[in-house]
Amino acid sequence: MTLTSKPLAAILFVILFGGIMFSTAMGWWQTESTKEAATYTEGEFAGQANPADIRGSYTFGDVEKNFGISPDVLAQAFNVQTDNPAAFAAKELETIYAESEFEIGTASVRLFVAFYNGLPLDLSTDMYLPQSGADLLKARTLTPDQLAYLEAHTIPNATADPSAPTVAPAQTAEPAPEAESTERAVKGKTTFQEVLDWGVPQAVIEQIMGVAMPNPLTKIKDFCAEQGLDFETIKVALQAEVDKAK
Amino acid sequence: MKIFGKRLFRPRSIWIRKIVQWFFFLLIALIAVNHTLVESGGGIPFLSTASLHALCPFGGVVTIYQYLTVGTFVQKIHESAFVLMIIGFVLAFLFGPVFCGWVCPLGTVQEWVAKLGKKFFKRRYNHFVPVKLDNILRYARYLVLAWVVYVTATSGTLIFAEYDPYFALFNFWTSEVAIGGLVILGATLVLSLFVERPWCKYACPYGAVLGITNLFRVFKIKRAESTCKADGACSILCPMNIPVDSVKTVRDHQCISCLECTSEAICPVAKTVVFTTGAVK
Ligand code: SF4
Repeated sequence: MTLTSKPLAAILFVILFGGIMFSTAMGWWQTESTKEAATYTEGEFAGQANPADIRGSYTFGDVEKNFGISPDVLAQAFNVQTDNPAAFAAKELETIYAESEFEIGTASVRLFVAFYNGLPLDLSTDMYLPQSGADLLKARTLTPDQLAYLEAHTIPNATADPSAPTVAPAQTAEPAPEAESTERAVKGKTTFQEVLDWGVPQAVIEQIMGVAMPNPLTKIKDFCAEQGLDFETIKVALQAEVDKAK
Repeated sequence: MKIFGKRLFRPRSIWIRKIVQWFFFLLIALIAVNHTLVESGGGIPFLSTASLHALCPFGGVVTIYQYLTVGTFVQKIHESAFVLMIIGFVLAFLFGPVFCGWVCPLGTVQEWVAKLGKKFFKRRYNHFVPVKLDNILRYARYLVLAWVVYVTATSGTLIFAEYDPYFALFNFWTSEVAIGGLVILGATLVLSLFVERPWCKYACPYGAVLGITNLFRVFKIKRAESTCKADGACSILCPMNIPVDSVKTVRDHQCISCLECTSEAICPVAKTVVFTTGAVK
């Protein structure tokens, strides 16, 4: 079979745009992260949106679409000063709470949403809320377990105001290492690769964790949750090694 | 019109390819502009607002490692890049790197600059680099490919975007563009005045991937020795400097399936250089 340019051009268009149309029909054609949270697959809440799937790129508006919580309530919970709370992305919390002793970020939004709507969430990792968020939740109906978790994971006086970066330490936790606010800080989104790049050898990482290191692109926090390790403890130990390696 | 198998009025080039190239250049340019407009609250109705990363099949290639090992995409890469990568492979398996020759807007822009170069240098254009050096440099794009795959796999971020001239071409007005990409784009455009498609020949990592399909693609460029007049027109005009007149089947990893060497374009003898699945004599 011999082809000339015109049939080739036609076939090119058919395969290219046909392929795109087919993948759209199959739901594969995503040009941005979907802002539709995955749902619980089993149990009492099966089919409902799962706050564990809230990602950093979700705006408060996206959270409202998925969970029905008004962006104003979210802004109030996290002390966000903005004219348009619906456009505020969860990951921006990390920036405005950069000086906070314990990370307030996307995980905090997951925690707030789950408790606000009475939805189940894996509490084996540490997620923190500022006092303002905890106060709003205390006005809702919480189980004794949720209340206890909240008490232990509230950062009193945490401030979202960059001009007033002083944060009072949480009563239940040790002071954060000094390097927390520097660039080379082990945080919730830090991967093993970053720690390796900062000069901490794999053997040392494995010694700290007591288990073999997974794929270096895995987030340390996720791995700790998976392995049942306490992220806060590991974080402090790794941070000490990072500081030493400087 | 044909006399004794010779065309008297043959087209000098594959005009439909130029139209297709223009189409994709405008489409990508409009989508890139639309992406910027949408971010600032505007936008062109009915047109995709996707980022260029979402529409780049090479994004799919560089994210394969992370997808297989961690189950996630490299930052900024989405499912659409994976879909385009598969479509690109299907096309290349059938027709070779048609994406390079017909679709890629960076290839198109290099061809536009080449027109100027051809005006200046006439027949010397695209024949400046000594053949021996050129033959070695042609493999440099595989080094670029290895580097890009390695740094993406180990960092989990799209480091190549900092150097990518294609991204720079359609984002030079945004703050997202990196100086490295602009410098490489500038160098590519200047070099295009002397060499046809310098980025494609010496550096493009996606071209390197697709180029491999030239070894086994279904439709191949074939030359019928029985009717060939050996005038060398096909080799002289091939943008990738492939010596079409000295082979029966083009299997060069650099062919971009532009069809410019065929009897439909520069070859003056009908049915002598053809794009076919079958055998020619
Ligand atoms: S061999 Fe023919 S089809 Fe391939 S690049 Fe050269 S001119 Fe184009």
